[in-house]
Amino acid sequence: MRVGLSWDLGGDAGAVETWPGVLAEIAQADAMGFESVWVQEGREAADACSSPALFLTWVARKTKSLQLRVAGRGVTRGDAVRTAEELAVLDNFARGRAGLAFASATRQQAEPALVHETVEMVSAAWSMDEFRYRGDHVRFPSHTGDDAPRGASELPPSKEYVPQWEWGPIMPDFLAITPKPYSTRPPLYVEIEDDATLEWAARAGIAPFVPAEVPTGRAVERLVRYREVADAAGRRRDEVDATLERRLVLDGEDDACALGGSSEALVIAIREIRGRTGISHVVWRRGTAAGADLYRFASEVQPMLQS
Amino acid sequence: MKFWTTSIGTGKLRGMPSALANGYDSWIADAKDAERLGFDGYGAPEHHFMYDGFMPFPLQALAAVAAETTKIRLMTGAMLLPLYDPMAAAEAAATLDVLSNGRVTLGLGMGYRPMEFDGLGTAKKTRGARLSEAMEVVRLASSEKRFSYEGKHYQYSDVALHPEPVQKPIDMWFCGGTSLLGARRSGQAGFGYWLANSPYEHTAAIIEEYRRFGREAGVPEEKLRIAAFKDVCMGETIEEAQGMRQVLIDGFYEEHILGYGYLVDENGEHVYNPPKNHPMYQRFVDSLYCGTPEMVVEELKRYEALGVEAVFVPSPQRELLAERVFPEFR
Repeated sequence: MRVGLSWDLGGDAGAVETWPGVLAEIAQADAMGFESVWVQEGREAADACSSPALFLTWVARKTKSLQLRVAGRGVTRGDAVRTAEELAVLDNFARGRAGLAFASATRQQAEPALVHETVEMVSAAWSMDEFRYRGDHVRFPSHTGDDAPRGASELPPSKEYVPQWEWGPIMPDFLAITPKPYSTRPPLYVEIEDDATLEWAARAGIAPFVPAEVPTGRAVERLVRYREVADAAGRRRDEVDATLERRLVLDGEDDACALGGSSEALVIAIREIRGRTGISHVVWRRGTAAGADLYRFASEVQPMLQS
Repeated sequence: MKFWTTSIGTGKLRGMPSALANGYDSWIADAKDAERLGFDGYGAPEHHFMYDGFMPFPLQALAAVAAETTKIRLMTGAMLLPLYDPMAAAEAAATLDVLSNGRVTLGLGMGYRPMEFDGLGTAKKTRGARLSEAMEVVRLASSEKRFSYEGKHYQYSDVALHPEPVQKPIDMWFCGGTSLLGARRSGQAGFGYWLANSPYEHTAAIIEEYRRFGREAGVPEEKLRIAAFKDVCMGETIEEAQGMRQVLIDGFYEEHILGYGYLVDENGEHVYNPPKNHPMYQRFVDSLYCGTPEMVVEELKRYEALGVEAVFVPSPQRELLAERVFPEFR
C-alpha cells in the first residue's frame, strides 16, 4: 500500500504564515519515504491553495521521489483545457510524478456529467493529437457543432501535412492540446460522493478518491460499492489506485472521520479497510502546524503499510 | 535601467531536438544563470495548442524558477489575460507571489491567435476591453481584503482573493504591442506600459501618447511607467550583429511570431507569413537592433532618455550584455 500526506489548508492564518511549514514537511516526507503529497484546491480560507498545480510545480523542483497530486480540482470554471495543460506541465517538471483528483459533483454543486466529461476531455488531451470533443457540457474547440460525434474524435488521416505556422487565420476543427505529459498517462482520480459519478468512474476505470471530510463508515461503504460496480464491469482491481484520505491520530481516539490508536492499531485498522475496499493508497491528512509525529509515523506505521 | 530576459526551452525549436522535460530544465538553468549575471527579471510567455509543446501557463513555469532562485523577479511576458477567468489568474499570481516572497511581475497582453481563443472558449473580438477590465480585477483582488467590481465583461460582488499575495497590489504591466490604442487604454487606467519591439521613432510616439492619456486621466506621474521589449543583437562588427539577428529570426520569430499573424498592418489586418519585402516585415526586422556593444549602450541610453525604465532583452548574448552593457547603466 502506498502512503501519502495532505494538509488542512483551511485556517485563518495567511498562506505566508502556514505554507512554509507545509513545504518543510513535504521536504521531510520526500526524505522519509512517503510516496505522495496531495494538495487540495480551495478558495474559502486565508491559507487555501487555489492553484495546487502551480504550488506543486514549485514542490517538484524541491523533491525527488514524491508523487504529486492535485486534489479536489473543480470543473465549474469551464477549464478542462487548462486542467489538462497544467497537469501536463507539472508532469514534465516533475518527470512523471503528477496526478489529478477531481472534486465530486456534489461538493461543487455541479452536474455529474460535467465532471465525467471533463475527466474524459483531460484524458483525451493527454493521449490524442489533433482532436475535438463534444459533450453536453464540454466542447473543444469551442465551435464544435452538434454534428460531431459524442466524446472525443480524432482528425481523420491525411496525405498532406501543413505546418502549424502556415495555417494562417483559421480556427481548426481539431486541435492538439500541448504539451503532453511526461508519463504516458498520469493517474486520474475522482471523488465518488454521488452515485452517478461512482458508477461512471467504476465502469470507466477512473480511480476513486475519498477525502478526509467523509466519515469513515460512509467512505468504506462508497469504496465497497465502487468495487462491486467495477467488478461487475469486468474492471480489475489493479487498474486503479483507489485512495482513501483520513485523519490519523497516533495514540489518540477514533472519531467519525479519524482513525486513532497506537502505531500497531492504526496499521491494523488501515489494513482492515484495505481488505474490505481494495484501496491501494492511504493519505494522512494533517494539520498545518508541523508535528513531531511525522518521523514516528514514518518509522513505525509506514513500513508496516508499505510492506 | 533594469534588464529583463528569458530563454528558449519553453517549447522545442526546429533544428534543436531535445526532450521537452530537458528543455524545461535548461530553461530553469538559464534563469539561474540570468540571476547570477545580474539580470533583474526572467520572463515566461504564453501560447496554447502549439505543435512544439510551448508552455501554456507562464506563472506555473515561473513557480519552477522560483524554487531555484532567490532574488530575480519572475515575470510573465506576456500572459494572455483575456484567456483566463480574472480571479483564477489572480489566484495563480498570488500563489506564486507567496512561494517566491513577492517576486512576481505580471506582463499582461491580450493575445492574437484565433485558435487560442476558440480552443479556450472565449471571444477574440472583446479581448482589448477584457484585458483592461481583467487587469483592474487583478489589481483590486491583490490589494483589497474584499472587493466588488462591476464591469461590462466581469462582475464580482464582495469576494476575496486566497491566498493573499505578498505584494499589494501585485506588480503589473500592460503589454500593448505597438498600438496607440493599447497605450491610451493603459495610460488612462494608470497601468505601466510595456511596448513590443518597435523602431525608436514609433516608440517615442507611443510613449508620448501613453503619457498624454495618463495625464489627462489624472494619473500621478510616478505611476506612468514604461518598459520595452528590445531585442538587441551584438557583435564586434555590424555584420556579426546582423548574423545574430538572423539567428533570432530564423530560430524563433519566423516560426513563432510571423506565422501566426502577430504583425498588424495600417488597416488593422493581421499579416500572416509576410513576404520579406513587405513593409511590415521590414519594419519588424528593423526593430531588432544590431550593433556593437558600444552602439547598444548608446541605443539603450536613448530609450532611457525617453523614460523607459526596463528593457526585455533576448538571451543568446547574456554574458556579453552583463559584461559590456550593464556597467553603463549601474
